[in-house]
Amino acid sequence: MIGEPLLRTEGLTCDFGALRAVNRVTLSVQAGTLHSVIGPNGSGKTTLFNLISGELRPTDGRVYFEGRDITGLPSHRLPHLGLARCFQRTNVFPKLTTYENVWVAAFAGRTPGALGFLRRASEFSAVDTEVRRILGDIGLAHKTAAPAETLSHGQQRALEVGVTLASSPRLVLLDEPTQGLAPEATQQMTQLVQRLVGRYTILLIEHKMRIVMSISDRISVMAVGELIAEGTPDEVRENRDVQRAYLGTRR
Amino acid sequence: MSRLWSRNEAVLRFVLLLAAIVVLPLLVRPVVASEIWIFAIAAMALNLIFGYTGMLSFGQATFFGLAAYTAGLMMIHWQAPLLAVLAAGTLVGALAAAVLGYVCIQRVGTYFIMLTFGFNQMFFFIAYKWTSVTGGDDGLPGIPRPPLALGPASIRLDSSLRYYVFVAAVFLLAFYAMKRIVDSPLGVIFQSIRENPGRAAAVGYDVKRYKWIAFTIAGGFTGSAGVLYSMMFGIVPLESMSWIISGDIVFMVLIGGIGNLYGPLLGAAAFKWLSEAISVVWERWPLILGVALVLVVLFLRGGLVEAFTRLRDAVGGPRARREPGERVAVGVTAERETGW
Amino acid sequence: MNVSLFAGAILNGLVTGMLYALMGVGLSLILGLLNIPNFAHGVLYALGAYVMFSGAKAFGFLGGVLAAVAAIAVVGAAIEYLGVRRLSRVHPDYTLLLTFGLSLILTETIILVWGPVGITFQPPALLAGGVDLGVTVYPKYRLAVMLFTAALVLACYLFVTRTRYGAIIRAGIEDKDTAAALGINIRLVFTLTFAAGAGLAGLGGALMVPVRGLLSTMGLDILPFAFVVVVLGGLGSLPGAILAGLLVGVVQSLMTVIWAPGADASVFALMTLGIIARPQGLLGQR
Repeated sequence: MIGEPLLRTEGLTCDFGALRAVNRVTLSVQAGTLHSVIGPNGSGKTTLFNLISGELRPTDGRVYFEGRDITGLPSHRLPHLGLARCFQRTNVFPKLTTYENVWVAAFAGRTPGALGFLRRASEFSAVDTEVRRILGDIGLAHKTAAPAETLSHGQQRALEVGVTLASSPRLVLLDEPTQGLAPEATQQMTQLVQRLVGRYTILLIEHKMRIVMSISDRISVMAVGELIAEGTPDEVRENRDVQRAYLGTRR
Repeated sequence: MSRLWSRNEAVLRFVLLLAAIVVLPLLVRPVVASEIWIFAIAAMALNLIFGYTGMLSFGQATFFGLAAYTAGLMMIHWQAPLLAVLAAGTLVGALAAAVLGYVCIQRVGTYFIMLTFGFNQMFFFIAYKWTSVTGGDDGLPGIPRPPLALGPASIRLDSSLRYYVFVAAVFLLAFYAMKRIVDSPLGVIFQSIRENPGRAAAVGYDVKRYKWIAFTIAGGFTGSAGVLYSMMFGIVPLESMSWIISGDIVFMVLIGGIGNLYGPLLGAAAFKWLSEAISVVWERWPLILGVALVLVVLFLRGGLVEAFTRLRDAVGGPRARREPGERVAVGVTAERETGW
Repeated sequence: MNVSLFAGAILNGLVTGMLYALMGVGLSLILGLLNIPNFAHGVLYALGAYVMFSGAKAFGFLGGVLAAVAAIAVVGAAIEYLGVRRLSRVHPDYTLLLTFGLSLILTETIILVWGPVGITFQPPALLAGGVDLGVTVYPKYRLAVMLFTAALVLACYLFVTRTRYGAIIRAGIEDKDTAAALGINIRLVFTLTFAAGAGLAGLGGALMVPVRGLLSTMGLDILPFAFVVVVLGGLGSLPGAILAGLLVGVVQSLMTVIWAPGADASVFALMTLGIIARPQGLLGQR
């Protein structure tokens, strides 16, 4: 696919003192695709996400979203630009209900002028419609009034994704959505992610190799903070460097 | 079915509130009753920043006292009318909170608490030493109670019962305003900041800005309470600015039940009534207060609201309840400011 | 200005400053470990003073001081064991409120036991009288307290930064779960640290009795200053607390001779300026 990539990083680097967690990572994500980032534990994948989404400031390098330099922008600016992320460790609002969790994320993109805040929250029907749609998408329509902390782990992962989608982003960064899920829940989550393809551009971190291989358009492989390979699933599968990174040097 | 019940419940609670307002001066002296609603306003304000937004301010007396002194001075030197004074005090409270809040908001947790406390002390010492303006330890005497001018009518508020009616009316207005704020999107946004400020930012909220908004609003409400207090005894006492009052307000919110609209009202009522009743009998009543606080903190963190809820559940069957203060196991980090 | 007056003010400032540093160190230890400002710190100082007073009547000056330190350390340990520990799973704000409640209880208890009237106390005979320092004559006792407290504060600093036990405390502060996983009895560390912090406050109170006397409000009076010291020095920084303590003490003392009404407010103005100019405190991190 040719054309300006939706997301582009250039030499993105992050140092924690003497430790270089991300080392000059340059990658591009084309609009409409599902692009996966894989690699052994500690290879810097989540750190890479943090650099893109503003949780961390890069020591060097730049990030471009829709052609616009977003390097170092604080995290609260990004959903308004069309970029949202979910977290590896479930990061929702525990005592808010499922509905409120999604609502507050959905509302952020639609904050009215000062006078708009005089209305009751329940009067924003457009937001309500959107929230119910998302809750339906993620399969939590039957749990609207339950406090998030009472949900099962699988339901919380789904909510995690739902909150991310509520920002109506064009690019979604999904950080291990199937983390800690049992096989059946994993399947449901995978199907959910597949339903999102086309509607959103997705940058996905995943450990479960079968999922990655079956749903990705493109895969970037990281090891020890560096990008060691990139390509289609088939190309990556055959790549020696990747095999070495996962299985050790004897091959 | 449950929505119908909760709507009826809401109406019932409000009716009970109105009943309480009407009945209270029959149960306690009007002066005490007025103090209850005055501090209920201040407690609601603290509840907004503590219960809803998760910021514990130990310095609300700053705004209470500044508004009280401002109102007092305006009435003494300019014979300012009642509503003007009320508006001015609210404004002073909000402005002071906006300025101080901007500094305090930069930090979280412990730092924030200590900054609010420190600023309170600073203003207290200024009030203490600037005797030419504030009267220092003796307080600012000679505060009149201007009549309430509504168009052509002018209602005098000389008796404590009449003043009580006025205070209750202002309280109801404040309560309505607070309810609107809490029912507005701000209510959920503030709570999301309390629950998970990192995620609140990640979904698009400038957390510092919203914290500042909450703090400023609370300052305004606390200011109105201060104005009402200034006219209670004809004098603005130095204690209006003291961190004792800051602590009292924290008490009320905690004892009543945080994060709940009615909690602070219960807390203010319980606190004022108890302190009035016990202080007559025993001068060392703060001891009881301290014990009550320790017991609530250790065993009943939901305060009186939780006590009532448990009672109601025991009678009517349990319902999904949120335990206030419990730290959650999954994915939420309490904010830490310190380290070696 | 009169040189003698000025010199006296500086010296007073150093005495107060060392006391503030001592309070700041104790508060900082507890703050670092428990992540809450200890609202009971002031009343522990007061309790130390009162216990010393009673103890001195029975055991003489030194006995009184030792009794105070021991008693307050025990109180501190009890507070941690019976109260703070129960709240470890709950939001730190509640621990703060616990200490606040305790401060009320203990303040009223002091009044119940010793009465509301202030008491003065003479320094021990050995340290009575003044020392001629050339520029001014200064009370021997105050000089002794200043030097002793300075040595104590230095010892605390060295203990925490140079010894193995200090490293354990710092590890517990840094990451209590990992420290526990490494086999450190983190609960014991917490209790002992709280006891130590309390003991320092009690010691401060005891030592200052001949200087400041006893007043039922002394706990409430000193608490805000202890907070200023820790905030100004930088949360979590022991050297910061020491530096800030001295600074606050000297500033307050000088203001007392320059413009007395502004003395107390100036401390908070100093804190405000400090926070604005350097948000992390004088020696704080970040």
